[in-house]
Amino acid sequence: MGVLDGKVALVTGAGRGIGRGVALLMAEEGASVVVNDLGASLDGHGVDTGPAASVAAEIKAAGGNAVANTDSVTDWQAAEGMIQQAVDAFGKIDVVVNVAGILRDRMVFNMSEDEWKDVLNVHLKGTFNVCRWASVRFREQRSGCIINFSSNSAFGAPGQPNYAAAKAGIIGLTLNCANGLSRYNVTANAILPSGHTRMIDSIPRAREAVAHTGKLPSELAKGTDKDPENVAPLIVFLASDAARSVSGHIFGSFGFSYVLMSQPKIIKTLRSDHRWSVDELSELIPKAFGPELETIKNDSGFYNKIQEIPGGQWVDLGNGREFWGSKLEPYGENVW
Amino acid sequence: MGKLDGKAALVTGAGRGIGRAVALELAAQGAAVVVNDLGTSLGGEGSDQSIAQQVVDEIKAAGGRAVANTSSITDYDAAGEMVQQAVDNFGQIDIVVNVAGILRDRMIFNMSEEEYDIVAAVHLNGTFNTVRHASALMREQRSGRIINFSSVSAWGSPGQPNYGAAKYGVLGFTAVLANSLNKYGVTSNAILPGATTRMTDSTPRGLEFMKEHGKLPSEMAEGTDGDPANVAPMVAYLATDDAQHINGHFFGVRGTTIALYSHWEMAGVLTAEGRWKPEELIELFPDTLGKTIKAPEPVTLPGSPRPLKGAAAMQADPATWKTLAPGIELWERSTYFDAKR
Repeated sequence: MGVLDGKVALVTGAGRGIGRGVALLMAEEGASVVVNDLGASLDGHGVDTGPAASVAAEIKAAGGNAVANTDSVTDWQAAEGMIQQAVDAFGKIDVVVNVAGILRDRMVFNMSEDEWKDVLNVHLKGTFNVCRWASVRFREQRSGCIINFSSNSAFGAPGQPNYAAAKAGIIGLTLNCANGLSRYNVTANAILPSGHTRMIDSIPRAREAVAHTGKLPSELAKGTDKDPENVAPLIVFLASDAARSVSGHIFGSFGFSYVLMSQPKIIKTLRSDHRWSVDELSELIPKAFGPELETIKNDSGFYNKIQEIPGGQWVDLGNGREFWGSKLEPYGENVW
Repeated sequence: MGKLDGKAALVTGAGRGIGRAVALELAAQGAAVVVNDLGTSLGGEGSDQSIAQQVVDEIKAAGGRAVANTSSITDYDAAGEMVQQAVDNFGQIDIVVNVAGILRDRMIFNMSEEEYDIVAAVHLNGTFNTVRHASALMREQRSGRIINFSSVSAWGSPGQPNYGAAKYGVLGFTAVLANSLNKYGVTSNAILPGATTRMTDSTPRGLEFMKEHGKLPSEMAEGTDGDPANVAPMVAYLATDDAQHINGHFFGVRGTTIALYSHWEMAGVLTAEGRWKPEELIELFPDTLGKTIKAPEPVTLPGSPRPLKGAAAMQADPATWKTLAPGIELWERSTYFDAKR
């Protein structure tokens, strides 16, 4: 008995890394899975039907149900085909998990048009394509679950203007799905994952690690808190019937910790009984917003922030599990 | 003496609505302005070169300096030429304000590929294109101001999967700019505007208004809370040297109210010594992270035409405002500041 028995899921980018871990655990918990992966290189070049097929084979060897799909999420019709493949193979579609992604890091002042467009295309349009076609089915069957992968890079990673814009856009799209599809009993949540995958292998810090250990970070991650498979249990939970009332939120997975994010909201408002002049604003904005203009930072180092939570603030849940809760409201400025 | 004397600005979408008001205000403060507007319809069709020129004429008639540009920001090279036009005409580029935008609203399950593509191209690629070229020059001159237009639609407006995604993307992009360009003296901030323009004319509420009053809301906006001119002073302020310390922030601006947004923070954490099992989350979630997960119900107040949510619901109580100066009041989200204590 698994917590996803009888469900049908599409996982994009499921051939390697985090996506693979999600597909394997969903299948282990009883879901039938369309394993999508184009098998492209990290920067989006080339194709290889191997990764998707091998994950599907792995699932089947363990007694699960899976089919492989090697199309690109950037292709509107191919995204429709992925949903259709789930319906044809398993009778319906209950869950879509959008993990597929590429990297083309560059500072904004040096970035090429292609570096921008390719990354936006895979992450944001690819996620839109899959959500668009899944939402048609979800609306008809009056149920569904959307889990989209964003990133803490969305909150301001300096060398990733393209990736951050796309990953932030995915949060916006997810909130739109949550609000637009709630009447059809569809949930939508966004994930900030972590884990040592080939994405991490590509960053400068990883090259230092190779110099030290002779191995890539991804090769040393298995079983540690850097293992990309650590993200999967959160995804399975959100896809399960136990999370039917959880929608419109941003969750992070960092090490062995899961985070519920507090979304941006209005914290101060200044109002006048007349139209502002620029001179007035020069005087009053620092006075009204001063401390927050200094203290609010686009700082996404959540892994470290978790380590910095003082020991006394954790609530013991038994078996080595602990909970830390702030009084911050998780939902955003919910104007809709 | 203006607050922006000697500065050169590019304002996209400056032919109408908020963009026009921003261009006029920057010029009134002494900036020389490249007035960019393709002159398209709200949906992005067609073009009309006179739209940008009218604003240039208006600025010049008032004694200011301006040139027109009628290219599309979706064109990477054309965006580079806009920045170059500022340099050629005014010697430099100090300020970029990205206002240009279009709408193609549709529920996600009915949206076409083109409706997604064109909205993403204008809002996201367009904002990148101007910033990409301007940031290279701002980096060299060690100063600059980038002000990007996002929207409250980013928070999940149901019929706008394309626009909402693009506008949240603009927030992420702005955060990157803030973190990567500040060392060069460049600040980057985002505005979530509210105004009665042709964009809001197209909404169901706008069409209802038309039926009732025989006029579009935008035609009756002047002098009201919805006047797009109300958004301009905050943009001009962020462009001044006075605002050098303001970087990476999101401001909601409508009428005579200016709101400051918090950013993404951790609300709660579940941690373990090893990998979680789904069953453990099912067991522990409801009484931990799940406790605060429901947003409060909207509040309907006597006299309010529709239920209020979020800050608007809290701000309805006059007692939550304190006077900062004559005619000027400040509201603080008590739940946020209590949590911070």
